[in-house]
Amino acid sequence: MEETLLELLRVRLRLTGTKRSCESEVCGACTVLVDNRPFSSCNYLAFEAQGKSVLTIEGLANGEQLDPLQEAFVRNIGAQCGYCTPGQIMAAKGLLSENPVPTREEIAEWLSGNICRCGAYGAIAKSILEAAQEYQQRKS
Amino acid sequence: MLNELKLVQPTTLYEASKALTDYGESAKIYAGGAELLLLMRQGLMQTEVLVDVKKIERLQRVTWNGNGVRAGAGVTHRELATAPLIREQAPALAFAESQVANVRVRNQGTLGGNLCFNDPHSDPGTVLLIHDATVTLGSHRGERQLALGEFYIDMYATALEPDELLVEVKLSPLPAGMKSAYVRLHRYQRPTLGVAAATMVKNDTIEEARLAVGCVGPKAQRLPELEEKISGTKLNDARRIVVDAKNYFRDLLRPVDDLLGSASYKLYMTGVLLGDALEQTIRAGNGKQAS
Repeated sequence: MEETLLELLRVRLRLTGTKRSCESEVCGACTVLVDNRPFSSCNYLAFEAQGKSVLTIEGLANGEQLDPLQEAFVRNIGAQCGYCTPGQIMAAKGLLSENPVPTREEIAEWLSGNICRCGAYGAIAKSILEAAQEYQQRKS
Repeated sequence: MLNELKLVQPTTLYEASKALTDYGESAKIYAGGAELLLLMRQGLMQTEVLVDVKKIERLQRVTWNGNGVRAGAGVTHRELATAPLIREQAPALAFAESQVANVRVRNQGTLGGNLCFNDPHSDPGTVLLIHDATVTLGSHRGERQLALGEFYIDMYATALEPDELLVEVKLSPLPAGMKSAYVRLHRYQRPTLGVAAATMVKNDTIEEARLAVGCVGPKAQRLPELEEKISGTKLNDARRIVVDAKNYFRDLLRPVDDLLGSASYKLYMTGVLLGDALEQTIRAGNGKQAS
């Protein structure tokens, strides 16, 4: 009952792609999607996810085939140290499921709570814009 | 790591209030957990029982009752920011809600949690004040209404009794022709300063004004004397009056120096942002982020 979603993922399930960092819902490193909406798993009780879909960075690729977001991050070097990257990508996934063709401003607004201390923001935004295009092309 | 917790999930207000009575101080009301879990995880608050109010249906609705909006205490910031009824009837509130922390907090945190926690560095309450909001508090003993300004007592302190829950917030639409705005400054994803304004303007003259300021003092407050002073003035004069009101702000708001800025900086910016908010109500309305 007192277990957080982050503890469940990292400690019990050994899914360590989701990162622990600020522990106070500020940095975004622990972002996961619950029913397609981003949450800070550090400050979210695991029982709340009962009966809901939880998507972490581990669930994004289809076998060996990376998600367009992951491909775009790789292509654009949308990371430096990479610690914030799973959270950035999951936040972006949540954005694109709600707003498939976001503007750069909408991306900046949505990801304002995902902090990259290396300052890869330009490449992150570019990656999300490109992934949005890729999703659109696959749909048509 | 959290200590061992027991979860209670009442489906009615009565059951929830009874649980609070039965468990006493070892129980806490739990809705989104955005604020509560932070405190518990940092060891600043001990609790053994969470009374989860998310299954009480009445707390989860945003409705129109013919002359006002009722927003359930369990409605999240994200839901309020995007609810058509709020965007239509209280656009400055929808804007303020869209600026709370970050999208993860907005998905989790609730209006009721925000108001009951009464962290002075908060957005929604400031706008609710210019809508003359009242809160409905309920317990197994019955229900009562309080003006939001009376519900707020001091920082982190409200008029909520130990067996009571915040049920809903009622807000009146602004009178026809009155426009509103919310303007804020923020650092570290919490607002340093937030001001709300609403004006009714005729022939370039402010006929009626409502002003509120949050974050600078221990609680969000209306500024009745200043509202009176700028009534009957034109925008430029009103701007001068609010910028010159530093002593009034200091006495009313009792600001302190903290990580977000010195007291004198906050007082200065209160006047500046109130002026900006007034200008927005006259030019466009609905709130904007201060850069």
